[in-house]
Amino acid sequence: MVVTATVALLAAATASMILGAVHVPFSDIWQSLTGQAEEGPLRQIVVELRLPRTVSAIVVGAALGVAGALLQGALANPLASPDVIGVTGGAGFGAMLTLLVWPSAIALLPVGALVFGVTAAGIVFLIGWSGAHAGAIGRVILAGIAITALFSAATTSLMVAYSDRVQSAIFWIAGGLSSDGWSSLSVVWPYFSVGFVMAIFLARPLDRLALGDDVAASLGGRPRLVRLAAAAAAALLASSAAAIAGLLGFLGLVIPHLVRLAGGTASHRFVIPASALTGAALLVAADTLARVVLAPIELPVGPLMVVLGVPLFLWLLREAV
Amino acid sequence: MSEARLVATDVHVKIGDTPILHGASMSVHAGELLAVVGPNGAGKSTLSRAVSGLQAMEQGDVRWGGTPLGELKGRKIARLRAFVPQRAPVPAGVTVREAVELGRSPHIKAFQRPTRHDHDAVDQAMERTNTYEFADRRLTTLSGGELQRVQIAVGLAQEAPVLIADEPTSHLDLGATAIVARLLRRLADDGLSVILVVHDLALAAAIADTVVVMAAGKTAATGKPAEVLTPERLSDVWRVDAELDDAGALRVNWLGR
Repeated sequence: MVVTATVALLAAATASMILGAVHVPFSDIWQSLTGQAEEGPLRQIVVELRLPRTVSAIVVGAALGVAGALLQGALANPLASPDVIGVTGGAGFGAMLTLLVWPSAIALLPVGALVFGVTAAGIVFLIGWSGAHAGAIGRVILAGIAITALFSAATTSLMVAYSDRVQSAIFWIAGGLSSDGWSSLSVVWPYFSVGFVMAIFLARPLDRLALGDDVAASLGGRPRLVRLAAAAAAALLASSAAAIAGLLGFLGLVIPHLVRLAGGTASHRFVIPASALTGAALLVAADTLARVVLAPIELPVGPLMVVLGVPLFLWLLREAV
Repeated sequence: MSEARLVATDVHVKIGDTPILHGASMSVHAGELLAVVGPNGAGKSTLSRAVSGLQAMEQGDVRWGGTPLGELKGRKIARLRAFVPQRAPVPAGVTVREAVELGRSPHIKAFQRPTRHDHDAVDQAMERTNTYEFADRRLTTLSGGELQRVQIAVGLAQEAPVLIADEPTSHLDLGATAIVARLLRRLADDGLSVILVVHDLALAAAIADTVVVMAAGKTAATGKPAEVLTPERLSDVWRVDAELDDAGALRVNWLGR
């Protein structure tokens, strides 16, 4: 499973570098990346457009896969995705605020999405981790649903108020990568890093949490703290992903399932890294296809990925014992 | 008798604003099977959770091998006691062996690999609970009785000297209950201290060395089963006309006539 995902990722990344509106031969890519190529349009395409786009797709795909794995583990709920802790609602509002209200400040779009995504999750955690049943799964999920509803309502209100500008926001809602070089990634990479490092440390504690809070506590763990840390890491990863690539919620929900079904185990020490690899491979492949199918027109990646991912997922679901 | 492994004195617990325990005490020694009995809502489970460190106390003194509970955090307390909950979630995609291996967490540091001894402890925990034969099956495919034994195996893999089981038999049929009862008795005979929270008085009387009777958040009595579970106490605490006969069976006048 891990080998397959790694091979798929490498193949997709290579294809992503070669294919597009302009075909770049592999030898030119190699020379450009190793610094042997002469200055010219091909080198420029590789280094300034294709490379950042491929790297962004890898990072975003991995982040969404890991965010989903963390949340499904922390909330012991197979339906958990970044939607349930308010991230999607918050990031959507932040992006719409920038796109619709201050379209001249479009450079701030990743910041808006990140800040509001994390803020929404923060409010959910504040409500979810207070009171007598602080950190209980039901409380966190209910708080998430309420906050998501609130931010979605605010987003809808913005779209109604600025209906003449909604056209420009549709591509972001659909989800997809752009060819704006390293600018978005350079803003959010620290948040990705923190999220990924936290995920590595959370794998074993999440395995204990799977046996229930009492067993986790019996084994010397602090289940509510682990749940909070996992949700916080997921919020950072999903908000950062939304900042770069818009709303690609489907990845976060489906990738961990795909990995568990194909890998035959639910151990987070497998599911977390495998979700990172698989999420990255799927997003890079989908993004490449989106650029190639009707080149030079780019299809929105979000819907395309769903079209690719759903049959694969349904097939695995049928095969699962 | 040897020095007590656990001494809990005058434990008070509030959940929210509701006082659940106000003055509960117990102690357990090596090789002793202690049954905590009492009506619903008497605070049996809360007491077992409070002494385990799973439930915050308002006041009271709990000492494990002489050390106050407050000084025992994380791995330290996990090496002294294992807590087997009443009903644990059954995660999908996890095998019996994987679950029991998690019982070794208090002994394995982050990013360390399990040692030979860890593997042996896991095998031994599965052998003692007769779960070895289905070690590679998924938890989701097990019966209630099998699952309960796996839960106990997870606790045994911790290699803690005290095992606390919160109503391990309350959802099991007669045969599965007998298997768990014999298992717990055998563990105590092997030197483990077992604290068993249980509803079934006949079961408690049959396998326990000591019975703690809880009533309305307090310990009402502690002692050998026959001395403690008298008709008077059954009438006082449970409001039933009942007695334990010489064969250890509980005779209940169900209709109160």
